[in-house]
Amino acid sequence: MTPINISLLVFMIGLYGVMSKNNLIKKIMGLTIMNGSIVLFFISIGYREAGLAPILEKGTTGDIPTTILVDPLPQALMLTAIVIGISITALALALIVRIYAKYKTLDIQELSKEQ
Amino acid sequence: MAIHIPILIIISPLLAAFLVLLTRKYKIILATTSIIASIVFISTLSSRILSGDKITYHLGGWQGPLGISLVIDGLSFFFSSIVLGLGLLVIIYSIPERRYSRTYYFLLLISLSSMIGIIYTADIFNMYVFYELLSLVVYLLIAYNMKGMALRASFNYLIMGGVGLSFFLLGIGFLYAMTGTLYIYHIAEQLPAAFNSSTRMVIMSFVLIATGMGIKIAVFPLHGWLPDAHSMAPSPVSALLSGVTVKIGIYCLIRMIYSVFSTETFSIISSSHTILIVLGVVTLLFGASMALVQTDLKRLLAYSTINQIGIIFIGLGIGTELGLTGALFHVLNHAIMKGTLFFCAGIMIAEAGTRDVQGLSGFGRQQPAITFAFIIASLGMIGIPPTNGFVSKWLICLAAVEAGYTILVVIILMASAITAAYYFRVIQVLFIGPPKQSSVLIYEGEQMIHGGNFFKSLPIYILAAGCLLLGLIPALGISMVKPAVSLLLSHVIP
Repeated sequence: MTPINISLLVFMIGLYGVMSKNNLIKKIMGLTIMNGSIVLFFISIGYREAGLAPILEKGTTGDIPTTILVDPLPQALMLTAIVIGISITALALALIVRIYAKYKTLDIQELSKEQ
Repeated sequence: MAIHIPILIIISPLLAAFLVLLTRKYKIILATTSIIASIVFISTLSSRILSGDKITYHLGGWQGPLGISLVIDGLSFFFSSIVLGLGLLVIIYSIPERRYSRTYYFLLLISLSSMIGIIYTADIFNMYVFYELLSLVVYLLIAYNMKGMALRASFNYLIMGGVGLSFFLLGIGFLYAMTGTLYIYHIAEQLPAAFNSSTRMVIMSFVLIATGMGIKIAVFPLHGWLPDAHSMAPSPVSALLSGVTVKIGIYCLIRMIYSVFSTETFSIISSSHTILIVLGVVTLLFGASMALVQTDLKRLLAYSTINQIGIIFIGLGIGTELGLTGALFHVLNHAIMKGTLFFCAGIMIAEAGTRDVQGLSGFGRQQPAITFAFIIASLGMIGIPPTNGFVSKWLICLAAVEAGYTILVVIILMASAITAAYYFRVIQVLFIGPPKQSSVLIYEGEQMIHGGNFFKSLPIYILAAGCLLLGLIPALGISMVKPAVSLLLSHVIP
């Protein structure tokens, strides 16, 4: 099991949660799991076995073997993706609060019956 | 100054969005001015773009794969002019409504700015970030009036959109894993080599990205969120969503199919054209038949959007020069027509006090000018000359015959007949019965007329005139589409 396979598995678990759960909060949890799996996926792309942090110190020249450095770009991307994920979750929870105040239920089957 | 124009087009609405939050009096002036400024900026570039040139701008002076670049070519110019044009009209249409506060204009400006960002950026992750920003703002705009149905529609869209963009991001991850770059044109260069070594990953990334965008475009099996979201949003927002936001997904898909996964490099993607045609046909017929049974005016218009997306997909799927011209021209035409229809629907619903089609009786005598615009746009949707919808449908039908898919012409004509059935049903109701005499509503109506009916009807007249103009002189629209089509067909990796 490579980390990439695991992250795809987690992605599928999240997708299952979004699709099959009736509770709105659980759907959001599924979405968060999907987001987390993508973070895992990107980080494992950039990971190198026994890699160093890609920081060049002052005075070093360009003859460092690049293969043992961890790819920093996916990590930077994932910082952005985590922030986006949080804002989506926050918005969704705010919507859920409003929906609950109106309908007094969080079950999507019950909600679809309401007019 | 002149070299910084691409970023100024994005910055201008973005900056105004935050300034709008600070002021109460000047919010409308600020919003309108920023969009007009963007339009002025973009029109200074128009002559260069229309002659086939391409403008690249490196953010912060960082070149190519290291930094993020903005690229304005024929395709992005075409889409961004639609966004800005309809965006300006949406803001003008919103002016008389008192209930739209500063937040509304803030969200509207952010959405316009992020749409232009998606269109211009050449960095695929940046495209995702802008798309997520756009979606976030759109969820808020749909739920703007805080009614129960709107909240539910917004939540449904959030779930679907969230899943769709997760797919998109995972697809980007696969692309990055294979090519080690996020710059679209570098990915396109690296992909043929990656395809030979890891075929499955290329196919996987294509499928993930296409599915993600399919959710955003509302192609048939993934359309579930669209009717609710587009019908529950405030009317100007509906016009923006139907007219422009859906097209952003189409833009991303076109970019992916033609710029990243280009046809000549590998054979598997060429079968995606067949998939596009099949999806288009199913979406077309489904949207048309579902629109036929709707009683809610805005839901009907929302399903009609699904119907027209089907036509655009068929045009893209045929993929010849004529087909692409038709499809892109239909993107422009649909933005104009659906804008008109949703703007008219907003006025009709406000006057009649009901969203039910049957409740609209007598509107035709009350406001003949608005009704006339509604009829012109409906004729465009059906595809009757001399409206613009006819020209683009005609081009797509010609392309279908040329490419040997005669059956598609039959299907498009059949769907047009269904389209005619549901639009004529609405038009017929508009003229039945006497004008409504309900006292409360008349009072409200009068207030609306004094409070600036001019601003509400101006965008409608402009768009309806556009329908007729593009129908009578289609060369105007086609000259806009031409650079985009030649860009797509050239297959040159810049």
